[in-house]
Amino acid sequence: MNGIRGVLYREMRVLKSRIYRNILASSISPLLFLLAFGYGIGRNSSVGQTGYIDFLIPGLIAMTSMNQSYGISSDINISRFYFKTFDEYLLAPVGRWEIITGEVIYGIIKGLIPVIIIFIYGYIAGMRHIPSLMMVPALLIHLIIFSLLGIAVALKVKNHGDQFAVNAFVITPMIFLSGTFYPVDKMPMVVKYLAHIFPMTYTTSLIRGSVIGTQTSYLLNFGISALIAAGLFWVCMRIMRGMEP
Amino acid sequence: MLIEAVELVKKFDKKAAVDGISLAVAAGESVALLGPNGAGKTTTVNMLTGLSKPTSGKILYNGKEFDSADNAIKREIGVVPQHNNVDRDLTVEENLIVHCKLFGIKDIQKAVLDALNFSGLTDHKEKTADKLSGGMKRRLVIARALLHNPKVLFLDEPTTGLDASVRRTLWSFIRSINKTHGCTVIMTTHYIEEAELLSDHVIIMDNGKIAAEGKTKELKDSIGKFALDIYKENEIETMHFPSRQDAIAALENIDSEARIREVTLEDVYLKITGRRIDA
Repeated sequence: MNGIRGVLYREMRVLKSRIYRNILASSISPLLFLLAFGYGIGRNSSVGQTGYIDFLIPGLIAMTSMNQSYGISSDINISRFYFKTFDEYLLAPVGRWEIITGEVIYGIIKGLIPVIIIFIYGYIAGMRHIPSLMMVPALLIHLIIFSLLGIAVALKVKNHGDQFAVNAFVITPMIFLSGTFYPVDKMPMVVKYLAHIFPMTYTTSLIRGSVIGTQTSYLLNFGISALIAAGLFWVCMRIMRGMEP
Repeated sequence: MLIEAVELVKKFDKKAAVDGISLAVAAGESVALLGPNGAGKTTTVNMLTGLSKPTSGKILYNGKEFDSADNAIKREIGVVPQHNNVDRDLTVEENLIVHCKLFGIKDIQKAVLDALNFSGLTDHKEKTADKLSGGMKRRLVIARALLHNPKVLFLDEPTTGLDASVRRTLWSFIRSINKTHGCTVIMTTHYIEEAELLSDHVIIMDNGKIAAEGKTKELKDSIGKFALDIYKENEIETMHFPSRQDAIAALENIDSEARIREVTLEDVYLKITGRRIDA
């Protein structure tokens, strides 16, 4: 477990040194989305029986926490290519799974910061729902998946340019097609099928179900999400085993 | 032997960066891998430390085959990379603590205190690493590599980019690691003076191969004890002689500017490869 401890200690110190920047970054974009989509477009609209702002808040939680936990890829990328601090982990007598696990826990913690902020926004904006306990495993699986995706991307790309390409071609479309701002089942058939390629579709459904009680199949969505997480962990391990500076 | 490498090859896109080198390092030795940029020194160190997998060949530590998943052997290795890979957002102390945690050091407080004292960074322990000078960063990286009391310390170009006075301070620092603390030191360098001063054993690398190796004095003696540099219009021609008298005798027949000096490892490199090390 030394690897987990070492990685986590390092990442938490880095997070502490940047905490104000981090809180600010986690606050601005959901606020803008809330203003633009919630008040600008959806003030008087609803999705089924749910008011649009109530519908939007879980989507914003899913999106912003995903951005934060996936964002560890930039941190790893910088430590690999620029500061070379990632080599310290590779040289240490620790299992590669410990490095991955340490980074995932860091991704989870980082991803939880905006969750708190968006709940504050939500209640100020008049959200009335009280989340169920299912929100805890829903958020956990969501943050685990996107931390692992961040690690896999960071370890696979060969430079910062590749990283931007992944963000542009995978992450951004995923945000808009995974039910963040509008329900997936109201989308055109092709887009609906496309949405189901993205893991965020399943985790957003879980988060929304647990926060505002919309209908979701917990068993199916947790099952698919757990399979995606296991697959991503396996991919990370494969990449780590063959990794060289 | 503490470390043996047998027919090590490392290829990148079919091009061999290290091309079938074999070497042996005894415990307590100080060894320099000397050669110009691109000779394969860093790639060799990366393989010996488990950071990079050889394309073929094997590495043995105390007779046991090593691979990058062998944590027992990794515990015996300290690495000072070419790049000062400190965490700039973390303090000096925190940088050391990260390493302690990764290596499972029990008494972290004592280990960090000792490292701070040894490196002379006690007064700077609360500074973030980005506030340190280049020399201090280097000392921090070296102190960090020694935290877990490794049996062997790898230093990749330890003084590159540092000014002359900092370089000299680091030389005595490195020498004390080897001579006082008995830690085996394997160092890469392209500085002749550094290799001569700090190592008992020199391995000259060129184009991924070992061009020559041996005790520093033996290598130099193999080509002579004195060198005569003859300054011609566009080049310096160098001749080697077994004694100063022989060099003086040769000088009498030369009408251009010339000087006699002791043979250095640069002469050995030049003699073997036909090029200067900084070419």
